[in-house]
Amino acid sequence: MTNSSTINTFILYTFLFMATLIALQTQSLAQGSIDDQVKEISALLMCPVCQGQSIGESNSNLAHDMREITRRQLEEGKSKEEILAYFVNSYGESILASPPPKGINWLLWLLPGVAIIFGGLGITLYLYKSQGNKTKEQDTSKRIKPEVDNDYIKKIEEELEKGDS
Amino acid sequence: MKILSTSGKIIVLIIILSLISLMGYAIFGSRVNIKTSPLVGTVAPDFALKTFDGEDLKLSDLKGKTVLLNFWASWCMPCRQEAEALEKSWQKYKGKDVVFIGVNVWDENSNALSYLNKFGGGYPHGMDPNEEIQVDYGVGGVPETFFIDPSGNIRDKFSGPLTEQIIDYFVLKAQKPQNNES
Repeated sequence: MTNSSTINTFILYTFLFMATLIALQTQSLAQGSIDDQVKEISALLMCPVCQGQSIGESNSNLAHDMREITRRQLEEGKSKEEILAYFVNSYGESILASPPPKGINWLLWLLPGVAIIFGGLGITLYLYKSQGNKTKEQDTSKRIKPEVDNDYIKKIEEELEKGDS
Repeated sequence: MKILSTSGKIIVLIIILSLISLMGYAIFGSRVNIKTSPLVGTVAPDFALKTFDGEDLKLSDLKGKTVLLNFWASWCMPCRQEAEALEKSWQKYKGKDVVFIGVNVWDENSNALSYLNKFGGGYPHGMDPNEEIQVDYGVGGVPETFFIDPSGNIRDKFSGPLTEQIIDYFVLKAQKPQNNES
């Protein structure tokens, strides 16, 4: 009877220990997941009072508050999009690290591509033209060279003939 | 060495001019419509504040009144600069359905209280409890002031130290019925 009671107590404590462990582990995983999400969202928002820093990178009071608000909103179950929309609503689209591709913002997304295409075309055109000019010059010099040589040889022959006579 | 033909040069020139025009539009074109805050013209975010006098204040309870909402901090020099103008204007508009509210941000309670003792705190001031009100209002620095009309819409935002003239201008503007201004 005593043995059975000891075993029961042992099982109960083991169960409680395991349950606590699982609860702690789950909490830590959830915490880790929220931390990751805060980091992810913080990288998408620019600090309004800093120079080119996201709220994840900045140590300013405002960036700190914005990270805390992000955490609170995540804990309340808000999605990434809802949180970003909240900050855009307060600070405008300039708060976003990458502006959404709409309106005049399209230029920001298209211009680098256009610049690469036109730059590439320009360089190709330049190389093509300069190569063409080089070939032309080489052809011309090839054609001229024998004539020059012929004249020179002719003159030598004339001089030799004069010398002979 | 001739790299581009005349028509090629014209095309490159057109492209460069188009890019310059687009840049010009991006920089200056939309400036006419730029608002000081995306919240201007929208409903002012509601908030609850415990004032330094221990009173509870809720923005939504002030419907029908013009509200001047000023964000400040004790360490902020421009806030000290505008304190006198705020106090004088508050005296002037007292009893005229204009409410002044001071929201203290990024500060210590004791520093805020000594600031109010020195620079005057006739109208209600309170500390932003979770530093959330200023983010709701898109505050980037102090001082920043919002002018809320009697229907609860943000009519204007002013960044920097206020003067009595500036306060008069925005308070009177907020008191007037809203036109379809951009």
